Amino acid sequence: MVTSEPKESARLRRFGTYRIVEHYFIMITFSILVLTGLSQKFHEFELSNWIIIKLGGIDMARLIHRYTGLVLAAATAQHLAVASIGLVFRKWPASMVINAKDFTDAIDNIKYYFGVTNSPALCDRYDYKQKFEYWGVVVGGVLMIFTGLILWFPTLVARYLPGELIPAAKATHTNEALLAFLVIIIWHIYNSIFSPEVFPLDTSIFTGGISRERMAHEHPVELARAEGKPLEEIIAGHHGETYKIAEGD
Amino acid sequence: MKKTDRIFSTAMVLFILFVLVPLQVHAGKDGPAEDEQTCLNCHKSKGLQLTFENKESLPLQVDVKELRASVHAGLACANCHTDFSIDTHLKRKFPGKREYTIKASRGCRLCHSDRQIKTKKIHLSMLTDDKTKVPVCVDCHGFHSIKRISGGKVFEDETQYCLNCHKHKLGLHFKSGDNLFFQVDPSHIQQSVHSKLGCSDCHLGFSIDQHPQRNFKSRRDYSIAASDTCRRCHFDKYTKTLESVHYTLLSQGDLRAPVCTDCHGSHFISSGKSEKIMSARRCQKCHEDIFAVYSSSVHGKALLDERNQDVPICVDCHNVHSIEDPRTFDYREKVPGVCGNCHANKAIMAKYGLSTEVVNTYLQDFHGITLKFYKKQKEVSDKSSTRPIAVCTDCHGIHDIAKARGQSAAAVKANLMKRCRKCHANATRNFPESWISHYEPSLERAPLVYIINLIYKIFIPFMIIGLILQILLHIWRYAVNR
Repeated sequence: MVTSEPKESARLRRFGTYRIVEHYFIMITFSILVLTGLSQKFHEFELSNWIIIKLGGIDMARLIHRYTGLVLAAATAQHLAVASIGLVFRKWPASMVINAKDFTDAIDNIKYYFGVTNSPALCDRYDYKQKFEYWGVVVGGVLMIFTGLILWFPTLVARYLPGELIPAAKATHTNEALLAFLVIIIWHIYNSIFSPEVFPLDTSIFTGGISRERMAHEHPVELARAEGKPLEEIIAGHHGETYKIAEGD
Repeated sequence: MKKTDRIFSTAMVLFILFVLVPLQVHAGKDGPAEDEQTCLNCHKSKGLQLTFENKESLPLQVDVKELRASVHAGLACANCHTDFSIDTHLKRKFPGKREYTIKASRGCRLCHSDRQIKTKKIHLSMLTDDKTKVPVCVDCHGFHSIKRISGGKVFEDETQYCLNCHKHKLGLHFKSGDNLFFQVDPSHIQQSVHSKLGCSDCHLGFSIDQHPQRNFKSRRDYSIAASDTCRRCHFDKYTKTLESVHYTLLSQGDLRAPVCTDCHGSHFISSGKSEKIMSARRCQKCHEDIFAVYSSSVHGKALLDERNQDVPICVDCHNVHSIEDPRTFDYREKVPGVCGNCHANKAIMAKYGLSTEVVNTYLQDFHGITLKFYKKQKEVSDKSSTRPIAVCTDCHGIHDIAKARGQSAAAVKANLMKRCRKCHANATRNFPESWISHYEPSLERAPLVYIINLIYKIFIPFMIIGLILQILLHIWRYAVNR
């Protein structure tokens, strides 16, 4: 696979096989759900009609959508269970938890983009953009699972809860789907493919490896901790183009 | 010589003028018999008339011109009017005109034997003893004006020719023993859209010269066969009927299924685009019970009470000639489109203060989308749908459609519950609430849905624009740094 590092550079292990498989899993199920779901939402589009007819009709498209949703729901439940167990019993570092630094990092980065400061935010294992996406997937996913189940079993829901919950669930499901789709297609695809820093593809989630240079650039706090060096040394040792030019700016 | 010559020539001129010329003229006119002049002395003048016991009257004037032009010009009056001669003029009494006509026709039979008239099949049915039930000679052939049949120019046109007999009640006899006594009312023909057509335009094989005898099993067989003739001109309509449920029934042997003439009539065919009620009444002939239900519906009432021309009648939903079986999935799937013909038409709905959104809200919802795809799927594969998707008629009724507001709203609600359970077997009482009717969500109606939609309407653009701005900033910073 092509990587964006031309220089000889030490490669570090960033993701284990478990996380790689999880990503493949969500990548495939999300695509199927988008394909079968959005073509129902945008049923007036010629492309939607084509997709649904090719899938064998609306009943088949819905069947695929529901069972794929079920698979994704199982994967999400599994992920949350494993994460809970890891955090509580295995003392995993809570690297995905949103903290105050994420907000200051975001502000720092904006300042940097506008040229107010000379360097981007110094991030830990997951930067605020990655946390935003992760929690978007988790919260959005849970929302989609619940509203999806309501739509799948409307009579069961109406037995115990007001009937209006069903169109409300539909409104949530369809809007949240559009939001998720747009975030993925714009934000995630930019950051993992079109961003000049990773173009043509950020391979780390597929290979599990990342160059030390990118680590020093994107996750200096984590690298410093891993190598047992002070953060300043990591930054000083990192002679990325952006830094040089930024300093001379 | 001079004087005698003058006398002679004068005498010759006088002879020629007064004797030969009248003789010549006389001879040229086929020479009326001596008694004719005597009869005509009185009968050529107006005013003479015969009054019958039933107060009917018959003018006794003879049109001399007509008489002279007739094939019987050479006969004497008494040849036919056997009871009369120069010497005798009987005073006879008849109960009515008809009896007189029958009596008068006997004169014909003095020359025209049974054998002779039997050679024309059309005459067979007239050789009965009861002359009151069948036409007699003069009914068809006339009396003083009788012309040669071969000339064919006796009548103004073919219709006149045929009507001469068929304006009388004539019997058609079928193998089944059935008889159809049928009389064509000339005024009906005049008022019909086919007034310009001749009889043989429809009655193929018949003409002034031809009157074939045909054999039909029954009266119904005759009607079905007779209506075949319509397609010679109305082929487009005929091909449409081939798709209709009526034709299917007919081809399966159900002879009760209607053919052209059952709805349109035969000799009295009016334009199909006449008042709506007329059209509905045609269907009523067979579908009496459905018409009764329709009459009490919101559409039927408006039609019958107000003569409203906007409301749908039978053919607006069931089509005119290609009337399909409405009990199929195919038809069910057409229902929203059928209702939408009017209910999505702003011009019509505005008159009654009805919203055109009712169709759209259905079509954009789960069931409407499912239905749309079922229809599309059918276009690409011949598999038919397997599930009956809820359509307008399921909740609003079919022929008994009532107003969805006011008193009948409860009935619509009850239908909704029943209909939900057809597919959602274990639906409970509050399940129908999940269908927020045909309303757009608002704070009054479905506030939860309204609020969720509103939040996303703000949140999605906010989020996406924010992300795009960050991407643009990122690219910009990268470009500046290089």
